[in-house]
Amino acid sequence: MTTEYEDRIEKAARGLRKEISPERDLWPAINDAITTPQRSRWTPMLAQAAAVILLMGGASTITYMTVKSDVQPVTAVAPNLVFEQASFGNHNMGPGFQDARAGLAAELDAELARLSPQARADVGENLDIIHQAIVDIDTALAQDPGNTMLQQKLLQAYREELSMLRRVSTLTRNVMVRNDI
Amino acid sequence: MGALLTAQSSDYSQDMEIDEPGIAADEEVWIKRAQRADARAFEALYRLHVDKVYGLCLRMTGNVAEAEDCVQEAFIQAWNKMKKFRGDSAFSTWLHRVAVNTVLGRIRKSKRDQDRLQLVAEQQEAPVTMGDTGEMRDLAAAVDRLPEGARHVFVLNAVYGYSHNEAAGMLGIAVGTSKAQLHRAKRLLAQQLEAQGFEA
Repeated sequence: MTTEYEDRIEKAARGLRKEISPERDLWPAINDAITTPQRSRWTPMLAQAAAVILLMGGASTITYMTVKSDVQPVTAVAPNLVFEQASFGNHNMGPGFQDARAGLAAELDAELARLSPQARADVGENLDIIHQAIVDIDTALAQDPGNTMLQQKLLQAYREELSMLRRVSTLTRNVMVRNDI
Repeated sequence: MGALLTAQSSDYSQDMEIDEPGIAADEEVWIKRAQRADARAFEALYRLHVDKVYGLCLRMTGNVAEAEDCVQEAFIQAWNKMKKFRGDSAFSTWLHRVAVNTVLGRIRKSKRDQDRLQLVAEQQEAPVTMGDTGEMRDLAAAVDRLPEGARHVFVLNAVYGYSHNEAAGMLGIAVGTSKAQLHRAKRLLAQQLEAQGFEA
């Protein structure tokens, strides 16, 4: 085996065909890909951003309310609760969820009245954020109903809302206990 | 590609029945139109270059299905990057670069997917559609059996005539590595082909 033989192989390789026709026409798939408008990534990203904001907002509200002590009873109006689509794919918000939510929502005005104006404003603001997230995710889901990530985010947003309502209820009861003492 | 080009489904079908000397001028027009998102002009470019791109993808992957996917992905990439083509090199060279990047990207991805491409390549005989005959067919099959790095350098350098600088640039390797891989490829080919009685 010599270098000369290797060089002859290299020279012979220049004779290999460089242009080969594909067995089938590959253009239609390319045409589809370049002419079909791509679905905007903005809407799902917006929904994700909203979900992140609501989680951060929820956490900061709970922290704030936990350390807040100056509580004055005042009349309050609870933010309107929204209820967008809650059944899709394999997920379904059952009657139990809806009952719990309706009960907590009915108590919300009374619970909020026990909080300070600042805490009340914070709760309202954070519930608004959650509600906006629900609306945004729901809008995104309308365009892409099969998107599992969005479905999960929507369920998570509803759970966050329920969790916040429960925490408001728990916090005001704790405040009452401390005031009684 | 023969002396005449024919489009299958476009208003360019008249324009595309052209003689070879006119291709370069037409290509320039198609490029400018494709850069303005004219899909039919891009189809004309596809028809003009698909055999070269497919040949390169087939030689580099050694697999018909992968080569077809690479061609489609490469042309979609090319469409998305059309505005970046400044004419510093020939359009075919630019397209080859896009195709090589596509092949390498798919190989990297398939390596993450448990070396699927390499396994497929190892299991398959040399594609019968390569169009090589006689001893050249043996040579093509031997090239297919080369290890990936050596095969890529050999195809770009020895088959397509790119310099080591160009091949190294396309493959993202050092020039010295390109030279070493070519040497390795030639040695491995010589071992294989000599055993088969190949008369180079």
